[in-house]
Amino acid sequence: MVKEITVEPVTRLEGHGGLRFVIGDDGKVKDAQFNIASTRFFEKFLEGRYCEHIPRITPRICGICPIPHHLTPTKAVEDAWGVTIPEPARKLRILLQNAKQYSSHALHFYALAAPDFLLGPFADPALRNVVHVISKMPDVGAMALKMMDFGQKLCADIGGKSVHPISAIVGGMKKPMSEASRDKFLAQINEQVEFSKKTVEIGLKVVEDYWDVVANVGVVPTYYLGMTKNGVHDIYEGDIRIVTPDGKKIDYDVHDYLDALGEHIPEHSYATHMYYKPAGYPDGIYRANTLAMINCADKMATPLADGALKAFRDKVGPISHHTFAYHWARLIELVESIEMIATLLQDPDVVNPDCKTLDVQPREGSGVGVTEAPRGLLLYNIWSDAEGICKKANLLVATNHNIAGIEKTLMHVAKQVFEDKALEGLKLPDPWIN
Amino acid sequence: MAVKVAFMQNSDCWGCHQSLLNAHLGLLPVLPALDIVYWPAVVDFKHDSLVARPDGDILVGFVEGSLRTNADVENAKLMRAKCQLIIAFGSCSCYGNVHGLANEWDIEDSIKRKFEQVESITNESPHEPKEHMPGFTNKIVPLDEVISVDVYMAGCPPKPEAIISSVQFLLGQKPQPMADLSFCNDCSLNNENCLLEKYELCFGSITSMGCTLKCTDNGDPCVGCLGPAKTVSSRAEKLKAMTQNIDQLSSGDKKNLHEFLTLFLNVPLMSGFDLAGDILKQVRRTGEPKTALANVPADTGDIYSNILRFLKNHREFIKISTVCDQCDLQIGSKSQMTRVKRDYEGLPNMNDCLIEQGYLCAGPITRAGCGGLCMRVNAPCSGCFGQTAWGVNQAERFADVVTKGFNVALSKEELLAQMKDKLGFSEKFTLATNKNYR
Repeated sequence: MVKEITVEPVTRLEGHGGLRFVIGDDGKVKDAQFNIASTRFFEKFLEGRYCEHIPRITPRICGICPIPHHLTPTKAVEDAWGVTIPEPARKLRILLQNAKQYSSHALHFYALAAPDFLLGPFADPALRNVVHVISKMPDVGAMALKMMDFGQKLCADIGGKSVHPISAIVGGMKKPMSEASRDKFLAQINEQVEFSKKTVEIGLKVVEDYWDVVANVGVVPTYYLGMTKNGVHDIYEGDIRIVTPDGKKIDYDVHDYLDALGEHIPEHSYATHMYYKPAGYPDGIYRANTLAMINCADKMATPLADGALKAFRDKVGPISHHTFAYHWARLIELVESIEMIATLLQDPDVVNPDCKTLDVQPREGSGVGVTEAPRGLLLYNIWSDAEGICKKANLLVATNHNIAGIEKTLMHVAKQVFEDKALEGLKLPDPWIN
Repeated sequence: MAVKVAFMQNSDCWGCHQSLLNAHLGLLPVLPALDIVYWPAVVDFKHDSLVARPDGDILVGFVEGSLRTNADVENAKLMRAKCQLIIAFGSCSCYGNVHGLANEWDIEDSIKRKFEQVESITNESPHEPKEHMPGFTNKIVPLDEVISVDVYMAGCPPKPEAIISSVQFLLGQKPQPMADLSFCNDCSLNNENCLLEKYELCFGSITSMGCTLKCTDNGDPCVGCLGPAKTVSSRAEKLKAMTQNIDQLSSGDKKNLHEFLTLFLNVPLMSGFDLAGDILKQVRRTGEPKTALANVPADTGDIYSNILRFLKNHREFIKISTVCDQCDLQIGSKSQMTRVKRDYEGLPNMNDCLIEQGYLCAGPITRAGCGGLCMRVNAPCSGCFGQTAWGVNQAERFADVVTKGFNVALSKEELLAQMKDKLGFSEKFTLATNKNYR
């Protein structure tokens, strides 16, 4: 008898998704679907808007990562209009982007992912959540809340609001940080660096405990999509980088994105399937997000993070297809973000009032902006008319880059679970908390 | 005992959840009071478990997000059936949010752009996904056109402190435990001087005793800082009678009532938190679960009911403030709008009203609640808390208001002529409420 197994909805997920597996009479997995049942048509209703208002609208694409959705369209319009922003504005934006990276990665690790590992995969679903983690591990819970709080407050300070930011404008930033506020965040930075190190310790312990799972479940070779600047990990600017399943790295200028990135409309998901165009669909399916960024990077931008990258590569090799290593990769990025924040807070440019150029004139043309959001590469292509009104827009958003890769991984894992019974022999640790 | 709450997320960005989580350490005292029975963003209960619950099983349901898909509409109806109170949580459910801008077109146009025309699509004959997909609503409408709503909490997102204080209000949580006796037992005024006897609205008879700075020592009435007492004094009858005829209160009493609402009931009046009905009655009707709000002395509850009914019938009592009321920039400044400037032009000074400096700022037509956050970083208001008047042409209303009350050298017609994207400016968050675009 054909059996259908559904998971509706996928929980601890930012957005709306369901899973659907079809198992045949022979016990073989016939289909594995990741059904994303929501889309809101930003690609349409941005038409006719003032181009400079787009960054006030698009943060509503994602409440977790509204900062990249604020900065990236701003960069796209600047590209279309040929605007160069002052260096202090660029540094403020990088600081803002890293503040978001920091709080988002902390949120992902502690609120979305950690309950699985700390309680174990067979825990009571009623308890498998961050609320329970906080009640059972109050010290770790308080630390996690303080990390998110620091990142979100820094976002709010520079961005005007943490959800949804308002301070970037075509031509720069509306306002620098005040010295008083800069000092307030600087005073907390040592504590936050310690929190990050502690988080890495917890993460490494989890990896060690679950090594059998990391090394054997969901190890799926795909292409990877990320961004680097001269090969160095960068979340604000650079080239698009593709890594092939066997580890070859190929760079594309962001303006040539259509040569690299194809979008396949599936029958069963509003979120589309992205793939590496030269390899075709579905062979060219890639993954984005933390593991992809780590696979793309020749090195990290900061010393502690670069050390963490070396430790990672010593363990898993130069390219990792381990889906569970996403969490580890996230922690490497977490460390980089707090180091970037520490460096930039000491840079006098972040309090420099010269953060907006007056030389901004709309012109007709297409512009591309790219950043790396916490969940993957984020690309805006905006077409402006001569008066600076948006003619059309194409958005390739972070999570969307992962949908096809997730589905491919689901199929792989479903076969492991339902056909090979691979989970039965897995070594699992005792739960940290019950 | 913890009360059951559920969170439903329709088509949106997760930002309301992030805003709630942004309370961070402020969450710790609230969480133990909640029995979260559905919150896909954070806990692992599945859709089936919500469907399986008896109707009315959940006290408070937060419904977030726009109604973009047919599944969103079904989810909203499901929540209405399962929850005693529905909160329209955030500007998506209150007003449709930016997604409502799509109402400018037919849904077929949006589908075509997204699934057929986008430059990166590579299918030979791309089309809208249909397999296991819910399909789209033709137009986005606000939540209260599909189900009845008890509380509106606007904002994109609502502020963390507004969310927390609203939850505390609904749970009847107060910072202090309830005292056995009421303030009257501790009052320094004697019978002759009793303010209530002089028909002044004093809430001492239902308020916990134990304060160190007694308002009545200065001849001012008690406004209920310490929250409800476990028992009421004999004067509560008198207070109840007064609140039954609350329409006839003097202006001084209205001020007392404002303070009482804020301090005693913890209604965050100015944070975009509207009560659409007699919430208390709904909570009491079922009697369970026993929140502090449902568990106060009968007279105290009756007084709440009187006041909440008054608020429901007299919306004007809570003056609808605009964002300008919370903005630090100066109106009537030295600057004067002589033409409409685009946001990318120049850099505004940090003192004068942005409109008077020439920029389009939706503050004068937008309801207060945000605290004027955008203007603090030199960015004009874009209207995310919704408007202060409905069913009118918002761009014209804006032009009308600013040419009358602001230092603007343009006529209303000139100003409108220079506004290129009128809808995008004046109805960015609320177009779904505009019936001309259905």
